[in-house]
Amino acid sequence: MAQEDSGRGLSRRSFVKLAAAVAGAALPLGWQQALAEEGVLKIVHLTLNPDWSPLRGGGSHYNWQSLIWASPMYFDPEGNIHPYLFTSWQPNEDWTVWTFDIHPDAVFSDGTPITAAHVKGSWELNARPSTRNQRIDLVLSSVAGFSDVHTGGARELSGVRIVNDKQIEVTLEGPDPIFDLKIANQLAPIVKVEDVVDENGDAKEEWWQPANGLVVSGPFRPTLVDMTTGQVEYEPNPLFFGPAPALTRVELMPIEDTVVAVAALQKGEFDAHTELRVPNLIEQLGEEFASGPEIPKGQHFWLSTRTAPTDDPKVREALILAIDREGLKTVTIGDGPSKKAEQVLNAVSGVDPDFEPYPFDPERARQLLAESSYGAPENLPSLMMVGISAPEFEAAAQYIAEQWRQNLGIDSVQMKPQIDAYSGPDQGNVQIFRDDVATRVPDAVVYLMASIHSQSSNAQNKMGGYRNEKVDALLEEASMLPPSDPRRDELAREAQRLFRNDYVFIPWYHEVVPKSAMPRVHNFGRSLDLNVSEPWKITVGG
Amino acid sequence: MLLFVARRVLVWIPSLLLILFVVYALAFYGAGDPIKLIFLKAPGDVAYNEARIEAVREAAGLDRPFIAQFASYVGNLLQGDWGNSLITGQPVWRTIAAAAPVSGQLGLATIILTTLIAIPLGVIAALNQNGKLDYITLGAALAVGAIPPYVVGPILMVSLILLLPPGSIPYGWGGIFDVRVILPLLVLCMAPVSIIVRQTRAAVIEVMNDDFIRTARAKGLPERIVVLRHMMRPVLTPVVTQLGIIMISLVNGAIFVELVFGLPGLGRLAVQSTVDNDYPVILAVTLIGAALVMLSNLVVDLAYPLLDPRAHAARSDR
Repeated sequence: MAQEDSGRGLSRRSFVKLAAAVAGAALPLGWQQALAEEGVLKIVHLTLNPDWSPLRGGGSHYNWQSLIWASPMYFDPEGNIHPYLFTSWQPNEDWTVWTFDIHPDAVFSDGTPITAAHVKGSWELNARPSTRNQRIDLVLSSVAGFSDVHTGGARELSGVRIVNDKQIEVTLEGPDPIFDLKIANQLAPIVKVEDVVDENGDAKEEWWQPANGLVVSGPFRPTLVDMTTGQVEYEPNPLFFGPAPALTRVELMPIEDTVVAVAALQKGEFDAHTELRVPNLIEQLGEEFASGPEIPKGQHFWLSTRTAPTDDPKVREALILAIDREGLKTVTIGDGPSKKAEQVLNAVSGVDPDFEPYPFDPERARQLLAESSYGAPENLPSLMMVGISAPEFEAAAQYIAEQWRQNLGIDSVQMKPQIDAYSGPDQGNVQIFRDDVATRVPDAVVYLMASIHSQSSNAQNKMGGYRNEKVDALLEEASMLPPSDPRRDELAREAQRLFRNDYVFIPWYHEVVPKSAMPRVHNFGRSLDLNVSEPWKITVGG
Repeated sequence: MLLFVARRVLVWIPSLLLILFVVYALAFYGAGDPIKLIFLKAPGDVAYNEARIEAVREAAGLDRPFIAQFASYVGNLLQGDWGNSLITGQPVWRTIAAAAPVSGQLGLATIILTTLIAIPLGVIAALNQNGKLDYITLGAALAVGAIPPYVVGPILMVSLILLLPPGSIPYGWGGIFDVRVILPLLVLCMAPVSIIVRQTRAAVIEVMNDDFIRTARAKGLPERIVVLRHMMRPVLTPVVTQLGIIMISLVNGAIFVELVFGLPGLGRLAVQSTVDNDYPVILAVTLIGAALVMLSNLVVDLAYPLLDPRAHAARSDR
């Protein structure tokens, strides 16, 4: 992957800007005008992607899955759910059985009707360990029989029943009032299973290549996936069961160097980017490119409750109170579009308006450190951070380390991009993890279950096995309530307040899903699933 | 000659095995559990489930003892099975087969261009020692060699984006004879040209006042013949050695050029697999790199007698 300069001295970026300015000053104006080809969307892709399988539950190509796959339902940029492949759905009285109706006209791009058998087969394929779908738990974990399939003990989801060709019934392990919200994304696409699997029931190699007879269900279909150059092309799917797309072609080309990618976008060679993370994005490509709806996703620093010295609650509290987080916001995210975070929750109905933010109180922080089991900063072991893998993360980590040095006298803080960058013995001693938490379901309880519940990977991995039984109990109780019940959000807020008082995270910022497209691209709204919600409406130019 | 080659190739086998063993051991014991690391490095909403991790580890055969894993790997390797990528699940040989020719072609083209450009320049500079031409050539070589490829690459790329008509962005790989390869070759040649110009110049200066050169001139031979037929052979011996070293670094490590210009080569693959802890790919790239070093040394050793008969005589005497 491209390595960015750290900003010390004359950086590569400054050098290039200088050269570009000199070159640009001598150009005839005509070549600098927008070069949009009407009807064609040209996208800069992140990387030379070796794997375009939609069954991975992520990856750099995930953001474009809605172009070629019809999800069961989808969210619009405002967070409202819409029918798509499933036209209607109904739970039973206790939320343990869900029935879904499939669009009567839904077909694959070869004309094969999409049936309940395809849905069942696709979910089973996605759940198998050989498929390596890294987020299937988020979609199907509450379905009866999922854990057996997911650990390789069974091939079939016992809780999924085919009622008829166009209706499917799902039985859950327990009540789940928001199961419908969990499947409204591209994480477990419905594929033409009989073409995808081999004799063992596992996905064939490169089944997603057009040359291997790939059939899709979305508004576009791939006509080129070149593994050598990384170029991908899509054309309209003539048999798409939804509205005909306005675009005539979509082209993706990988440009890994961000300086070159930005120049190409500015020049008009391309219209959009998969996911561009550069400093000063707004200055370089405009506010519209960098802006978008806030999504339930936040970047924070998490403190381990198991590793010295952060296993001491007073040390954790001291570390948090010693940071001027307003200054952290200024030096990292500036004036936006990301928003400074005070709590875990954002962009969901359960955001706590009365949440008490952590104060900046260096005096109190020093007092807490003195009262802790260590007594003084020189008694603390070296603090080790991980997840410092991009310039913005490094800026934040350096700022935090400097705050600790100034306010607490802590002068030994290490930073690494990945945990394996530390030596073997040290990997178990890392205390601070920079990582994001997010949810693809606009629900406070789901958000917190994935962030602060003791069974979440965040709690187990990043917070050293954090466990607060009251927090767990509140969230588990809330998860049994329907979204329409106000108690659901109330319990979530209460759990979050308890979590706050455990002092286990340093809030940083909440994210928006940037448009990542130039102003000449229209109807390009992305949902919290990071995909374009209604790709058939996209237009370029005009 | 054949015996010489055969003996050298036989020595490769234990050398490559030893390299594989060391790299495998470092990866196994040094970097941590690769499956666990895949989940630890995944975004925050990816579930961390011990049962799931164990299932994936077992499916990848990583639950066996180190020696069993290594023996299995070598056994498969001897049958042409390089294993599957831990990240993509695709056969490693396919990934390598796509990347290696790109790097190989780029490296070879760079060497050829470097030879054609740098050796004549070095000779001209040496023959005009301490003259204006010498200073200009040497100064330019030093300047060109001093600019890192990760600076000049993006500058050239961005400048071209701004200067060229729309739709002409020179990005991606279309083969070694595609017009898009001009810029990356230019960048790749800069450092080698700088090195070879100076190497050649120094070698020519060392040789140009030798007795045999004086004899050749005294016989009335044209200067062109003196240079090409008498001077170049001893000069080329150290230059060829240097070219061999350059070739290895070009094939294995042209990472910045590959990233900036979108070339799907081995350098890029090596970095990506290291970042991802993709052991099978790391091992394959290491194996190829090691084999390339040995092959390059062999080629250079075979070239010596052709360039300098004294080397051939020395080998015959042994």
